[in-house]
Amino acid sequence: MSDKSKNLPSKQSLKSRTLQCKNLHEYLKTLNPSTLDNLYNHPTTCLAVFRELPHEAKHFVIRLLFVEQPVPQAVISSWIPQAFVKELTAATNTLSELRVWHGAPIPGGLPGWILNPSFRKNLQSALLGGGKPWTLSAQMEEDTKPRDIKFLDDYAMERWECVLHYMVGSHQQEGISADAVRILLHAGLMKGDEEDGSPIITKEGFQFLLLDTSAQVWYFILQYLDTVNERGLSLVECLTFLFQLSFSTLGKDYSTEGLNEKLLIFLQHLREFGLVYQRKRKAGRFYPTRLALNLATSQVQLQNDATQAVEGYLVVETNYRVYAYTDSNLKVALLGLFAEMMYRFPNLSVGLLTRDSVRAALRSGITAEQIVGFLRLHAHPKLLANNPVLPPTIVDQIKLWENERDRFTFTDGVLYSQFLSQSDFITLRDYAQELGVLTWQNEKKRTMVVTKEGHDEVKKFWKRLSKNSS
Amino acid sequence: MGGMKRSKKDSEKKSKKRKKEDEEEDEYMVDTPGEAVDADGIPVAAKANVETVDEGVPEDEFGAKDYRKQMILKADHENRPLWVAPNGHIFLETFSPVYKHAHDFLIAIAEPVCRPEFIHEYKLTAYSLYAAVSVGLETKDIIEYLKRLSKTSVPDGIVEFINLCTLSYGKVKLVLKHNRYFIESPYPEVLQKLLKDPVIQECRLRRTADKDTLITDTQEKAVIPQFHGEASTSSATDQSKPDEKNGEAVPDDITDFYEKMDKAEEDNEEDTSLKTVSFEVNQEKIEVIQKRCIELEHPLLAEYDFRNDTVNPDTNIDLKPSAVLRPYQEKSLRKMFGNGRARSGVIVLPCGAGKSLVGVTACCTVRKRALVLCNSGVSVEQWKQQFKMWSTADDGMICRFTSDAKDKPMGCSILITTYSMITHTQKRSWEAEQTMRWLQEQEWGIMVLDEVHTIPAKMFRRVLTLVQSHCKLGLTATLLREDDKIADLNFLIGPKLYEANWLELQKRGFIARVQCAEVWCPMTPEFYREYLMCKTSKKLLLYVMNPNKFRACQFLVRYHERRGDKTIVFSDNVFALKHYAIKMNKPYIYGPTSQAERIQILQNFKLNPKVNTIFVSKVADTSFDLPEANVLIQISSHGGSRRQEAQRLGRILRAKKGAIAEEYNAFFYTLVSQDTLEMSYSRKRQRFLINQGYSYKVITKLSGIDDETGLLYTTREEQNQLLQQVLQASEMDADEERIPGEGGSSAKGVRRVAGNIGSLSGADDAVYMEYRTRPASNVKHPLFKKFRMR
Repeated sequence: MSDKSKNLPSKQSLKSRTLQCKNLHEYLKTLNPSTLDNLYNHPTTCLAVFRELPHEAKHFVIRLLFVEQPVPQAVISSWIPQAFVKELTAATNTLSELRVWHGAPIPGGLPGWILNPSFRKNLQSALLGGGKPWTLSAQMEEDTKPRDIKFLDDYAMERWECVLHYMVGSHQQEGISADAVRILLHAGLMKGDEEDGSPIITKEGFQFLLLDTSAQVWYFILQYLDTVNERGLSLVECLTFLFQLSFSTLGKDYSTEGLNEKLLIFLQHLREFGLVYQRKRKAGRFYPTRLALNLATSQVQLQNDATQAVEGYLVVETNYRVYAYTDSNLKVALLGLFAEMMYRFPNLSVGLLTRDSVRAALRSGITAEQIVGFLRLHAHPKLLANNPVLPPTIVDQIKLWENERDRFTFTDGVLYSQFLSQSDFITLRDYAQELGVLTWQNEKKRTMVVTKEGHDEVKKFWKRLSKNSS
Repeated sequence: MGGMKRSKKDSEKKSKKRKKEDEEEDEYMVDTPGEAVDADGIPVAAKANVETVDEGVPEDEFGAKDYRKQMILKADHENRPLWVAPNGHIFLETFSPVYKHAHDFLIAIAEPVCRPEFIHEYKLTAYSLYAAVSVGLETKDIIEYLKRLSKTSVPDGIVEFINLCTLSYGKVKLVLKHNRYFIESPYPEVLQKLLKDPVIQECRLRRTADKDTLITDTQEKAVIPQFHGEASTSSATDQSKPDEKNGEAVPDDITDFYEKMDKAEEDNEEDTSLKTVSFEVNQEKIEVIQKRCIELEHPLLAEYDFRNDTVNPDTNIDLKPSAVLRPYQEKSLRKMFGNGRARSGVIVLPCGAGKSLVGVTACCTVRKRALVLCNSGVSVEQWKQQFKMWSTADDGMICRFTSDAKDKPMGCSILITTYSMITHTQKRSWEAEQTMRWLQEQEWGIMVLDEVHTIPAKMFRRVLTLVQSHCKLGLTATLLREDDKIADLNFLIGPKLYEANWLELQKRGFIARVQCAEVWCPMTPEFYREYLMCKTSKKLLLYVMNPNKFRACQFLVRYHERRGDKTIVFSDNVFALKHYAIKMNKPYIYGPTSQAERIQILQNFKLNPKVNTIFVSKVADTSFDLPEANVLIQISSHGGSRRQEAQRLGRILRAKKGAIAEEYNAFFYTLVSQDTLEMSYSRKRQRFLINQGYSYKVITKLSGIDDETGLLYTTREEQNQLLQQVLQASEMDADEERIPGEGGSSAKGVRRVAGNIGSLSGADDAVYMEYRTRPASNVKHPLFKKFRMR
């Protein structure tokens, strides 16, 4: 007499993984405490972190900035009205997690907060001035061929698209460095092909492509930072440098003087991805681009900047046609991920959203949400006059196509099988039915499934039953 | 057409019913496949297809056809509205400042493929170019204008194609003047070429001295008939110039060309000192010469100089002052009467946009004897109403010729009848015989062909050989057929003269704003199990009778009754139609419903506030004019027929009064059972309307349906009872309503029918009917068939 019970596959295992894109704070939280403390040794980092804090937290930090002893937690709580307890806890948690302050008992034994001393010092100097100059350029003569903002924007986009081109496997790109490929592989955006080992795009990679540019850059840089230690670069140095970059001025050139050997390597990487522009490797000066400037700012701001720079090019019609005003192979390739391309004109591509094409995209791990998001993000200015921007029927249909792949409803359950006698089966089945935990049963095969919740009860009953009978 | 064989005396009563069906519902007739319908009626160039031009075109890495090498972008491309692809497809930006002109131009030279909000697609075809030429555009103008409007260079293949299709077309006209037929052309060399052909020489009618010279004459001043209506002025002004206030730069060459084209049009209108040469042809040989000219790649354009026709008496009808033409109606008529003569052709307007008024106006303009052909007895009545409403014609002048209304034809000026009445091959009553003879003897001024898309080419031929008319006007809402034979109409009737844009008419309030919705009804487990196991046509019955669908239908009917809407429910399946209607206690109309009962139901629907919902079968698809209806629910339909979908939508398109404030003022629901064949049919059916810019909202759950009390089939028991009923229904019930004449070859042979003893003994409302087996003489040998055609 045996009853075998095994768990049926749960819902999660069948669902595709979606791309997690952390924001600055989420990223910093994952760093270990000592790295974080080291980061706060630079005014720029402190300012960048401060800039991204929730309003309440900023308020606390400013009020505590010149207090050099612990302040009772109750006092700090009293700065915010009772009605906003939720915001209060969110702010205090953030500050603790980022190690901006830490708990310290005040003499009376009450719990209190004190700001991280290096954070306090450096934020003071960031806000009030003083300390070492943190612009990278020392006195430097004028560039003989200064670059304007338009040039830098174009350059940045071109370099960045090179990476994306490589990912979609479009033929006409210039190659990207082995380092970049390694990052893509590391990030799981691409993986080695089973046959010849050449990198091919993964599900996550598809999702990555449909993000807007600044989110892509941020995600990519995070993945890059994960690997810096392996390259022998210092994470703290790199991060600090990135934050410095994010406070630089667009269209201004900075000197490479004072950068150590490692940072120069890092700079070359950034150059490859289009975050900075250098005329020559040894030019001695570089220009940060918009991509670098936007790096550490929050998502909302990011989007505004990014969309202002590039105008939308997609016209989505109610008859499932998508017209792309573009001659860029990359843009057409992205559209081709989920649309069937029909015609290619010099400045226009015509595509059709079909059930098959969208399903193919869904199969490769892209979600309906991402497709719709992509279409909306790049909508042609003519479409923007409409409200909603995209024809609702198209949006609905894409979602329906996704839902149609997801028709199963999953219930966790335990399988009972291999009953030795029919009567055993029937007794147990009837018991389960009485309890209302029976999901499925087949009398001929003497098999039944009970819900997970009911499993314990049924098992107990079965134990009792078999004990009695033996 | 089975029932007509019996002579009337034998079984007067019984046959009457059958006969009526025969005559009225001949609407889904399809050309029998395999029959070479028109191989000889169409010029060779018409078969040229630009689509094939681009077979060798490379595909880019994303699977699209890459035309970048063949099209070179112009520097000022942003100000030009078109892309012309080498395969004849043209894309037009609607937001371009020159959109209106480009649109007018394209509609004249190309077929619209899809017209949603922003970018329209057109396609150049041999037929569309033929139509362009016949309304007076010239090859070099077409090419020149296309080049100027295009953002890129126009591919050489397209230029070549336009040349090929237009050079020989439209050069020669068959004109009836002073009751003599002339072949006329402004190009003497073309006529010379034609005259070298022996067949044509034979047809030439020589009178006395003018041996071999051609008649040269200067066409005298032709006055364009004015259609009254305030719209004419307004449309003339807004057409005159591109919106300059728009401030956007329009390349000079485009504006220049407008002016030139506009001027050309005016020239054409004001003084036509156009020199033409012509020769007279023998009236009896018209058919021959028409055919020969097609073979020679010079299809004759038929034009009727009705002003100079002195033999046929003028009829005394006019439009009433109250009849006001809308701008698009006027535009379509201008195309028809563009040069003071009447051209033959097809005008395409959405249902409910006032096709009848166009027909009536055309008749009043020609002012000769007019013949109107439509496809059912009900629409004969409706046409008569239309004539009385818009024109000064009275009962005495209008004659109906149908199976049950036979007015005295002699001396009337407008005759309204059905296609099947004319083409009927079996024995007629004496009365009908007399009328037919009279009808054949007449020389009709104008023939209006309603719902022209429904009739197969073969039947057309018969109509055209039986009835002599000077010009033909085809009217339709949907110039499309599932068998794609529609293009042949171009050469049988004439080119498409005008096609309206649905979305634009909707925006301007000429037709109702319709919300289309597809309601997904999940199959109940029991029905779905049977559906999956079922191998026969009963599948259809199972998904139509899906209890969830029934509930959705009942819910929608109630919902709209509460709103005070008038609802029509369509079902092609008679079993379902009856079941739904009887269960919900609503009146229904289907094939066997008598004429009187139909009219009574329709009257009640129109006027009685208590009758807000009717159930109809596909007899009501076309030409049932129900202006009050604003909700349509479709529970079963004819497979994937795009045309039926559009026709049905047409039932609720008539502009609604009052409700301007709401976003939508009409509703079109299609109920589909999820996971069944219906889903794919439904997708197919919607293509036409989607291309016209309509969008279907998918409703997966009707909100509020769970709170509604008193819906039927909510419990398992009731559902199972229904399932039993469905399973017991005979296979015959599962078929769609079979309408006589509708290519019914499948019914032949023995088949096994699962049924119950009740239905075999006649319990299922079956009536024993007397059938006469096909007379032995009716052999279908092709040789004999030819002779029997007449």
